[in-house]
Amino acid sequence: MATVPKIELRGIRARRGDYEVLRGVDLSLAAGETLFVMGGAGAGKSFLVKTAAGISIPDEGEALYEGKSLARLSAREEAAFRKASGFVFQDAALWANQSLFDNLALPVRLHEPRWGKAEVERAVRRAAELVGYDQDLRARPAELSSGERKLIGLARALVLDPELLFMDDPTSVLDEASAERVPEIIEALKSRGRSILVASASSELASRCADSVAVLIGGELAARGAYAEAAAWTEARVRAVTGRLKARASSTPAWAGGLAGAWVSAFAEDTRIAEDLPKADGPDGMSALGDIINDVGEGKDEP
Amino acid sequence: MGMLRKIGRATLGAIEEFLYSLGFFAQVLKESALLFRRRQVGFRVLVNQILFTGIEALGIAAAMALAIGAAINLIGSSLLAEFGQGKLMYTILIVVIARELGPLLTAFIVIARSGTAIATELGGMAVGHELEAYVAVGVNPISFIAAPRFLGVVVSLVVLDVYFNVFGLLGSFAVVQLLRPIGVDEYFRSLFAVLTPGDLLSGFVKSLVFGVIISVVSLYRGFAVERSVTEVPVAGIKAVGSSFMLCILADVVMTAIQYLG
Repeated sequence: MATVPKIELRGIRARRGDYEVLRGVDLSLAAGETLFVMGGAGAGKSFLVKTAAGISIPDEGEALYEGKSLARLSAREEAAFRKASGFVFQDAALWANQSLFDNLALPVRLHEPRWGKAEVERAVRRAAELVGYDQDLRARPAELSSGERKLIGLARALVLDPELLFMDDPTSVLDEASAERVPEIIEALKSRGRSILVASASSELASRCADSVAVLIGGELAARGAYAEAAAWTEARVRAVTGRLKARASSTPAWAGGLAGAWVSAFAEDTRIAEDLPKADGPDGMSALGDIINDVGEGKDEP
Repeated sequence: MGMLRKIGRATLGAIEEFLYSLGFFAQVLKESALLFRRRQVGFRVLVNQILFTGIEALGIAAAMALAIGAAINLIGSSLLAEFGQGKLMYTILIVVIARELGPLLTAFIVIARSGTAIATELGGMAVGHELEAYVAVGVNPISFIAAPRFLGVVVSLVVLDVYFNVFGLLGSFAVVQLLRPIGVDEYFRSLFAVLTPGDLLSGFVKSLVFGVIISVVSLYRGFAVERSVTEVPVAGIKAVGSSFMLCILADVVMTAIQYLG
């Protein structure tokens, strides 16, 4: 029996005024797959990812989550979908009138209403630490640089340990050290079997993390295949997008297991989402996670 | 032919927008009714809206009401005396302040302060993708953002109208004390003698309708912003213009029903 894709897009068409953003795109994301949607500026990557996440509504076609149309989910099903998914916006999209803490806490308070203050705070601090943000969480987004805002946006998407992650240009506006953390996080998520849909023009990031690649050109899906196949694509306009993808020796770097292991432990301890997963060493998940983050992060300040 | 096509397109577009705005209104009403049953209730948003729209507008409403009440008394008492109809002063005060100017002027105050604020705030949130971020985490923007603002504006407008009436009548009383001093008892006894339940109901219904118009129009204009920051001030301007027009139109219709019906 064929496995139901985690996310499936069928015949997606979208217009913005006279401009056609997407022209009949069919695409699916399997469970545990990391799919990179690549393309130049204006190719329709952001709209595609937002459509897959049920944020943007296409003029034609439908987006399905585990075989069910997002447009026809019941309130309960939609709440479950939102809890199970996270979205990283290209420009962070933090709520300007709330503190960073509240930005991170809102999804937790919404989907885990029985959690007490201490549990919410722990989840928030863990997410911030995971992305390498160790500044005051009482600040407002306007007080941060665009790179820092992006990190908090990433933390917000990860705060509930989602099984499905949508990322719209996750490394844009990040400084080199912070951008280095993104593939580490993606690898950690991959090793935990998470499904990830990434819109990015970065060959560097795709070379490190993609299981498969889709190429969008002018709103049309020009190519789609496993990462290893991408190098063999010969069509000139596709090569212009994928030409700089690098050959990969090993799919998972050695360090990713350490970060992923600690992360598994932290979430198993704190969120009870992965109670059956193995625990990391250390007095608790948080401190184990903190140790690994300090070990892994290159050029990061000490907390 | 080209002109006809343009007119046809514009008409269809206007009908489509009208139907869409009706659907939006129905959605806001539904989410407002469910506001207190939901987990994601925006109580803080509701309280903040009442604070901004109602409480913070008390000063300007009071000043305006005192001045209007005084002016009506000054003009009315000199004009009516010429016709020997000085006793009509109390009726005119009630009709003008409680039925007409109270609801309308408080609506204008709320349009100028809260209508623009709501439309531009939401427009800014739309441009910054904050509304999309709410959807992404599972928060319905209509229930979390629109419903509390809708209720906040409606409640504030009704309360502001009562407040405006009180200060309008007090302003008139102050002028009476200067021109022809009478006791507080006599002044208010004369006022209450001509005050009917219809006057109170009229002011209440008008405030309610104006509150609905201002909040829904401002929310609609704010949510209609899509991509550019230049759309934000336009949304504010459109919210003010449409709210003014619709409130005046609704006022004329309600007054006509009241007096001709």
